Amino acid sequence: MLFAGIALVVWSGWQNLRQRRSAMQEQQNRRVDLIPDSQSAAAWDSSGGSPLKGKPAPGFTLLDLNGKKVSLSDFKGRPLVVNFWGTYCAPCKIEMPWLQEFSLKYAADGFRVVGITYDSEVGRDTIAQTTQRLGVTYPILLSTPKAEKDYLSNTEALPMSFYVDKTGKVIEITAGLGSKDELEAMVKETIAAGGR
Amino acid sequence: MKVTRLSQARRAFVSIAALALAAGATAQLGSAQLSMDIPAKPRATVVYAAEPQSVPAARRAMLELRFQIVPGFHINSHTPKSELLIPTTLNLEPETGVKPGAPVYPAGQLYSFPSVPGEKLDVYAGNFIIRLPVMATPGDHTMDATLKYQACDNASCYPPKSLPIKIVFTAK
Repeated sequence: MLFAGIALVVWSGWQNLRQRRSAMQEQQNRRVDLIPDSQSAAAWDSSGGSPLKGKPAPGFTLLDLNGKKVSLSDFKGRPLVVNFWGTYCAPCKIEMPWLQEFSLKYAADGFRVVGITYDSEVGRDTIAQTTQRLGVTYPILLSTPKAEKDYLSNTEALPMSFYVDKTGKVIEITAGLGSKDELEAMVKETIAAGGR
Repeated sequence: MKVTRLSQARRAFVSIAALALAAGATAQLGSAQLSMDIPAKPRATVVYAAEPQSVPAARRAMLELRFQIVPGFHINSHTPKSELLIPTTLNLEPETGVKPGAPVYPAGQLYSFPSVPGEKLDVYAGNFIIRLPVMATPGDHTMDATLKYQACDNASCYPPKSLPIKIVFTAK
C-alpha cells in the first residue's frame, strides 16, 4: 500500500514535470517573424534591386476613400510616385507630408503622387483621419493582394516608393525613410526622365 | 541604367549590414544608418525568454516576463509619443486560480530615424521586461497571453504582430 502510494506520487510528479517541460519547449519554439519568409527576398534580384526597375509600372485599378475607382492609366504621361504606406508606419507619416509638399510644388511639371494603403483592413475612416491629420490631399487608394504582389513581391517593409516616369517606366524604387532632400532629388529626376 | 545617389547610398548600406550580420555584430539603437533599398533579408524575431518562476501563494506577487528584440529592430513602447502609433500591449487569458493585475510596462527610450533626428519616438529595443502582478492559489500555473507589438528597423516598419506566450509559474 505504502509502495503504491509512493509510486503514485512519483508518477504524478513525473507527469507534471513532463507537461511543464512540454509547455516550456512549446514556448521556446514560438517565434514571430517580422519578415514573412525568404521567398519575399528571393523575389528581389541579387543586386539589391527590384525586378520592377526599368520595367513598365504594373497596372492597377483600386478604390479611393470615396469608393471611386482610380487606375494607373489615369496618370498616363505624368511623372508619378506610387507610395505604399501603412497607418501604423511612423516613417511613412514623416515622409507623406514631404510628398504632399512636392506634389504641389511640382504640380506644374505634371508631377503627381498616389498613396496606396497597405493596411486597408483598418477601415476608410481610420485611413481618412490619418491622412487628414498629415495634411495629405493626393489620392489615397486601398491596396489589394494583387497590387501588393505586383509591386511589393510580398515584402512587408514600409514605406516603399516607386518612381514612374512619363513613359510609365519605373525608374527607381526606394524602401524606408531617407531624407527630405533625397526625396526631392528623386522627384526631380522622375520629372526629368522620359523626355519632354 | 541610371542609379540615383539615394539608391547607391542605400545599396551601400545593404552590404555593410550584411557584413555586420555575418560577423555577428549587433546594431545598437541610435547608431542606425540610412535604410536599404530592399527589405531586410535576415529573419528577424521578437522572442519571449520563457523561464519558470516561483511566487508566494495567496499573496500579491510579481512575475517578470522577459522579451528580446533582435538587434537592429525596435518596437513601439506601451506609450508611444503619437496616438497614431500602435503601443506594445500584453493581453492575458483567464486562468483558474490566478488573479492577475494590470501589467507594468517599462519606460521606453527615445529614438529618432537617422534621416529625421528631430522626430522623437518612444520605443523598446534590446531586452525589456514586463512585470505582471498576480495572486495565485498554491500549485503550478500556466497562463496564456499575447504580446501585441509593431516593429520597425532604422528606416522601415512592419505590420503589427501578435506573439502568443505561456507564462509558467509555481505558487508555493
